Amino acid sequence: VLAAAVLAAEGVSFLLVGSAALWLRGEIVTVGDADAVIEPGDHNIRRLREAFSGVAIGRLPSMASFLDESMVPVMTGYGKVDCLLERGRQDWDRLRRGAGFLPVADVAVLVASSADAWDLRRRFKERENE
Amino acid sequence: MSERTGLGIVEIAILEAVETSRYVKCANALARVEERIGLAPGYAYEVLVDLARPWSMPVNLVRGQGNFGSRGIDPAANFRYTEARIARAGRVALAAERGEIAPVPIGLINGNTYREGLRPPFRPGAIIDATREVIKRPDVPDRELAGIVGPPCFMTGCVVTGDFAALSAGRRTELRLQAKVSVNGQGKVVLENIAPNIGIDDVVRIIASRASARRWADDHPGLHHRIQLPLAGIQDETQANPFGRIVCTPALGTSPEQLRDLLLDVRGVYTAMPVTLRQPLAALIKHWVRANIHEDLPASLAALEQAQSGD
Repeated sequence: VLAAAVLAAEGVSFLLVGSAALWLRGEIVTVGDADAVIEPGDHNIRRLREAFSGVAIGRLPSMASFLDESMVPVMTGYGKVDCLLERGRQDWDRLRRGAGFLPVADVAVLVASSADAWDLRRRFKERENE
Repeated sequence: MSERTGLGIVEIAILEAVETSRYVKCANALARVEERIGLAPGYAYEVLVDLARPWSMPVNLVRGQGNFGSRGIDPAANFRYTEARIARAGRVALAAERGEIAPVPIGLINGNTYREGLRPPFRPGAIIDATREVIKRPDVPDRELAGIVGPPCFMTGCVVTGDFAALSAGRRTELRLQAKVSVNGQGKVVLENIAPNIGIDDVVRIIASRASARRWADDHPGLHHRIQLPLAGIQDETQANPFGRIVCTPALGTSPEQLRDLLLDVRGVYTAMPVTLRQPLAALIKHWVRANIHEDLPASLAALEQAQSGD
C-alpha cells in the first residue's frame, strides 16, 4: 500500500483495486501486491514511468510497454505494483465514478468502491481458474 | 529433461562440449553445441554461464575462467573472451547420462529458480542423505524425509523463511529470502548474503533512493517520514564477499540497531520467490529411487558427494 501512496504523492493518476483496495475499505483480506488501474493518457503514463524510475528494482519497463500492454508489473523498493493499463483504457470513467479518496500515511489515494473491487477480483479469479 | 540426471539437452550438450581437462575457449565449445543440437551460441552461452557461476546453483557442473560477470549489473564477457572446462560434478553427470554409473539427482538438487523457474535448490548433502535413507528404508515416513532434506538452500547464503511444509507437500508457496543484516564494530549496518533474485546494484540503488529527499516531502511529511531511511552513507563492498556486502552508515541521531530494523523492511533487502515442486518432495525422491533401484545408486551418490567436496 505504501507503493500506492508514493505513486499518488508523485502525482500519478490511478485508482487502487485488488486486495489493497479491499483492505483500505475495511474488508478482512490478506494484502498482496498493489493493483493500480491507471488513468489512460500519454501525460499520465509518462509521469507513472518517471515515478517508477527511481524506485524500480531491475530494468524499468519501456514507455511502449506502458502504452501498449494490458498489464505491466513493476517491482519497487516498496513492493510490487501491477499496473492495470487495459482496465484503465476500458473502464476508467466508470470505476472513477464509484471511487473515493482514502488516506495512506498523509497521502490521499484514490480507491475503487468495494463493489467494483470485489467484482474485478471475482472476474480475475474466474479467468485464473479457466 | 533426462531421467538419469534431471539435466536438459542443452546442459548435457554443453558438458560434452567442455569435457576436457584444460580450459577451452567458450566460443569453440558453443560451436560444438550448435553443431550437435543446433542451438545458436548466444542462447547456449546463457546456460553455460549459469552452469559455471558459483552463486547460481549448488552443484556447479562447469568451471569458468575469465569474466563470468558479477551478481550486479555486469554480464559475463562475450564468449570469445571466456574459457570453460567441465567440473568434477559435470563428469559425474555425464557418466550417469552414459550409463557408466547409476543416475544422480542433480536436477532435484539444483532446481531451476536461477532461471526464474519455480523449483528451488536444496543442499546437495541433504538430498544425498535423504536418497540414501530411502535406499536403506523404502518406507521411511515422508515427514522424516522432508526433515532430512530441510529448507531450500540458495548459494548466496541468504536467510530463507516460508511455509516449507507446503513446499514439501508439492504445493505452490512463496519463500522470503533475506540478506543477513548485522551491526559491525564501527557502528555501521552490514548487509551480506543478498538474495539471489535481486542484483546487488539494485539493492544499493533502492536503499540510496529511500534515503534521498523527495520533491513532495514538504507536502506529505507523514509519508516521507514512513519511507525515509536515516542513512548518512552507503558503500558497496561486494569485492569482499562475492555474495554481496553493503555497508550502511546511520544518519546522525540514529542508532545502527534502529537503521538495521528499518532496513529489514525494505524490499530488496528481502525478496519474495514463488516456488513449487512437481510432486511432494518425499514422493519425488521415493519414485526416483524406485525407478533406479536396480542400479548401484550408493556408488553414484558417493561419486557425486566426492566431486562436490573435491572440485
